[in-house]
Amino acid sequence: MMKIDWAALGVVAIVSIFVTLAFTALLSGGIRLVAQGATPVEQSAGSQVVKLAGYALLGLAGLLVLFGIYLLMPISG
Amino acid sequence: MTVLFVVITVIVVALIFDFTNGFHDSANSMAGPIATGALKPKTAVLIAAVLDVVGACLSTEVARTISGGFFDDTLITAPIVLAGLVGAIIWNLVTWLLGLPSSSSHALFGGLIGAVIVGAGFASVHYSVVVSKVLLPALVAPAVAGIAAAGATALAYRVTRRTPRKYSEKGFKRGQAFTGSLVALAHGTSDGQKTMGVITLVLIVSGFQASGTGPHWWVVLAAGLATGLGTYSGGWRIMRTMGKGIVDIETPQGAAAGAATTATILASANLGFGLSTTHVATGSILGSGLGRRGATVRWSVARRMVTAWVLTLPGAAIVGGLAALLAEHGVVGSIILVSLLAIACVVIWRLSRRNQISHHNVTDSADVAVLSSAAASDTPGEPQLNGSRRSDIAPPAKAERPKQKKRKKQRSAA
Repeated sequence: MMKIDWAALGVVAIVSIFVTLAFTALLSGGIRLVAQGATPVEQSAGSQVVKLAGYALLGLAGLLVLFGIYLLMPISG
Repeated sequence: MTVLFVVITVIVVALIFDFTNGFHDSANSMAGPIATGALKPKTAVLIAAVLDVVGACLSTEVARTISGGFFDDTLITAPIVLAGLVGAIIWNLVTWLLGLPSSSSHALFGGLIGAVIVGAGFASVHYSVVVSKVLLPALVAPAVAGIAAAGATALAYRVTRRTPRKYSEKGFKRGQAFTGSLVALAHGTSDGQKTMGVITLVLIVSGFQASGTGPHWWVVLAAGLATGLGTYSGGWRIMRTMGKGIVDIETPQGAAAGAATTATILASANLGFGLSTTHVATGSILGSGLGRRGATVRWSVARRMVTAWVLTLPGAAIVGGLAALLAEHGVVGSIILVSLLAIACVVIWRLSRRNQISHHNVTDSADVAVLSSAAASDTPGEPQLNGSRRSDIAPPAKAERPKQKKRKKQRSAA
């Protein structure tokens, strides 16, 4: 008989969409904040914080990429 | 002696399949980054090729069966494997000529299924498995990746609405390069295994290797290198369709599509519902077109692609079945089969030269023109594809025209 693992399919769909949105949010958020902090007219102590926050978001996006590499390593499977 | 000959033939043909697999699939990881200029074409395929080899060497766990549950494992013999591989190679080459991304694994399964049908009859194939493992995922993969990419594209544009282009371009391009590389690595770990599995299985079946042992180091290395070389050669025709043909990709879209492809492939590999990389990558690019307001999606190209996906399994099965008729006749049959394969490769390659696409002109135009209209009858197997494609073919890009003239001149001079 036909066996379709609907549960696995649902999990894959939800995780894929969620992780994609999370990564894109981190990446574009990071880009936006770094750009904001680096714009000369707004240079101040505050803009340094904004810039740092931007780099933090980009770092988190980078962690997601590292997690992806970890998933591809045979030890994790 | 006969056994040794068949084994060597299968290994060589398996490596040729790996090569076609490589250039068929390099677009999955690198079409986006190349289309947006995140990576230079040659750099992109070099990265993808190296990661392919690394991925192949990383994956120690080799697929234990190559039947995929489509038929009984005991039906597998060296001639059937040979015929199945020939079917898959021919299908990969024809779809490459047409610039259509289609799944290499579907082609391999199709070829094997056709060969098994010829060897053991229609009843030997488990058709319900075909539906649940091929048809359904082929519908699901582009849908999931497409939704993810569409959402991500909309999100990326919204968040960076007020960000100066200078910053957003650079950032998104970097993101794209990373996700593209990750997809290339994932391709190496999964697709490298297939051929290693095929070669190891044939070595075991013919008594050259003890049953239950892993692949020899040279099998791993050869399969990895064959895929890597194929990837490096680029498959520029498919690259153009994916990067330019379906949608015009801007950098935020490219980053969103790359993220969707990567997330979906890794999720499907780790959470137990296998999806084809090709279908995922195409769905992402399509979705990134739907997510940006004002982007035009070329549905005629998308339709042609879906037709190719539907035809891949039966098409490869027909070629695989015909090949099996020859392969069953011992050494003579195998020699004839391999010669025919060689001739087919040369013919298709020569057809591709009529309208060459390389790393120089891959992003110049959106269309992959195959044949001048006078010669359209050269591929009788694809009437619908040719019929639908000729209506929407644009005149070749300016960059291509002088070259054609030059070549004609050279030819007449010779």
